[in-house]
Amino acid sequence: MLTIKNLHATVDGQEILKGLDLEVPEGEVHAIMGPNGSGKSTLAHVLAGRPGYTVTAGSVHFKGRDLLALSPEERAREGVFLGFQYPVEIPGVNNVYLLKAAVNAARTHHGQPEVDAFEFLTLVREKMRLMRMDDSMLSRGVNEGFSGGEKKRNEILQMLVLEPSLAVLDETDSGLDIDALKIVAHGVNTLRAPNRSQLLVTHYQRLLEHIVPDRVHVLVKGRIVRSGDRTLALELEQRGYDWLIGEAA
Amino acid sequence: MNAAVLNRLKEEFGAVRAALPEHVIGAERRGQALEALCAQGLPVTRDENWRYTDLRSLEQARFAPAQTQPAVLPSLPATPEGFVRYVFLDGRLHSQAGAPHGVAVRTAHSEQAGAAPWRLETRLPEARLALLNETFATEAVSIEVAPDTQAAGIELLFVASAAAAEGASYPRVRLALGTGARMSLIERHLGRAEAHSLVNSAVQVELAAHAALTHYRVQQLGAQAAWFDTLSANLAAEARYDLLAVGAGALSARSTVHARLSGRGAAMSLSAAALADGQQSLDLYALSEHIAPHTRTAQTFRGIASNRARAAFNGKVIVRESARGTDSRQSLRGLLDGAQCEIDLRPQLEIYTDEVRCSHGATAGKLDENMLFYLLSRGIAPEVAQHLLKWAFLEDVIAKIAPSDLRRQIETTLVGQMRELDTLKELL
Repeated sequence: MLTIKNLHATVDGQEILKGLDLEVPEGEVHAIMGPNGSGKSTLAHVLAGRPGYTVTAGSVHFKGRDLLALSPEERAREGVFLGFQYPVEIPGVNNVYLLKAAVNAARTHHGQPEVDAFEFLTLVREKMRLMRMDDSMLSRGVNEGFSGGEKKRNEILQMLVLEPSLAVLDETDSGLDIDALKIVAHGVNTLRAPNRSQLLVTHYQRLLEHIVPDRVHVLVKGRIVRSGDRTLALELEQRGYDWLIGEAA
Repeated sequence: MNAAVLNRLKEEFGAVRAALPEHVIGAERRGQALEALCAQGLPVTRDENWRYTDLRSLEQARFAPAQTQPAVLPSLPATPEGFVRYVFLDGRLHSQAGAPHGVAVRTAHSEQAGAAPWRLETRLPEARLALLNETFATEAVSIEVAPDTQAAGIELLFVASAAAAEGASYPRVRLALGTGARMSLIERHLGRAEAHSLVNSAVQVELAAHAALTHYRVQQLGAQAAWFDTLSANLAAEARYDLLAVGAGALSARSTVHARLSGRGAAMSLSAAALADGQQSLDLYALSEHIAPHTRTAQTFRGIASNRARAAFNGKVIVRESARGTDSRQSLRGLLDGAQCEIDLRPQLEIYTDEVRCSHGATAGKLDENMLFYLLSRGIAPEVAQHLLKWAFLEDVIAKIAPSDLRRQIETTLVGQMRELDTLKELL
């Protein structure tokens, strides 16, 4: 699904990713953990194609295609989804309009007809119940006046409606209380499928109690310094990151 | 330049003077108005409060009123539900409905001989172009709402059809609400798409105690037209005036709004949206004058300028010594969409008393990169994302338009102006 080789990337002229290698096979959920400033969010934004994040070396292939050659909107239409750490408020653009425009952009891209408005609303309502979101959020501006938890749930709602092949969730667990965390985790788990992959960027092990990853990778100073199964996350919880930072140096 | 134009103005007046309808405005008063205008001179961009106005169209204009055209109207939008419509073509009454219950509507045709002609407030130098209206007006509509009447809405549709070379048009309106009366007014300025029309409108609003008026002003003249407009309003005690102005048309447009809050507890909101593209110049000067205690005003402006266009809002709030307990807010925002466009926001406050609460915020900038990327990351095309965000920017004002069919018509106009009808049609 996703193959990253020797990825180097800079932000404001400063190198953040320094030769990152990562392979996420189809159907798997991988977690990227690491201390603050290790490059986790940079990786997420590079994958989504955010302007200002410059790839200076290396390659990223998604379903065998060169992902870096695609514009941000093409990546989305091809099935890459970024769940934002800080979802943006866009007053005046309503939620359901954005959802529908996003779904139709992908469908048109794949030569499919646009969704039927009624069926679409039914589908969205069903997913909203799953995320325990109130119907009134549909007609509000995108994330407008939402609490931190509501914004994160809205990200997952978008993901559930868009059904991406690869979801990159950037610290989706940050700022969530335990109940919201469970709802978000439940949403993520329902999307697990043999033809989908997920990359969870997280600071803490807490999320991984609810979403069990197939692999855990530790990112330190722009490189993956260790990979393992879910027990690695538990070990990090016990020992912190210092021992790995020492090893990386 | 100014002297030459004034001379031409006098010559034109001399030539048509005898033909101007005496019962709309007497010849003597017309002459006085012209003298007062000549004494002040036409505005020039050196004048502080005219510096953002494109005044060039005044140089070539023919000021005498256009002759009534053969009545071929451009297609008109449907009348919003709950409103009765009056149509004026090049400043002259073209068609009218029956006045709503409790409302007296007088036009040049219905004016009783000897009825007292009303005067526009023209003392302010920013209001001087109302003197031009007073000199040449061929029609005047006066709307009076009886006290304690909840009146049905009235829509005044001013259609500009003549080219400026054939003469100008002078919409002239007085609206007076009696004590406790309430109504909604739509005032729309439309034009033939290609006409180089010159429109000079003058509107006077008088609200008695406890009266409430919601006034929708929509300027969607043709792309080559010039619009110079003066609105003055006086609010008595506890009167409420909600003015919503949307400017999208004309090559150059300048509107002067002067509101006097002269009665205790009077309140006014001005919400304005401007969408300027190409070489357009849209300028709004708004003066809120707090005279009585405990008066409230709120000015909201959202302007977008694209390509080489300019959108300007010059909002001045004066709090007189007598206006203790004033509450005034200004929220002015401009969006720059291109390297050569211009946004001018000028909040001004003059306070001559204590115990007031005045706040203002003015920001101008480009589209928010974070919002843009968020939309792209959901697969939205960059052009569509930009248009969506521009749309959203104006929504602060547009969403306040209560009659849903009017709002829809305005949204369609704005979307059409953004040249993105297909991609944004689902918003409508």
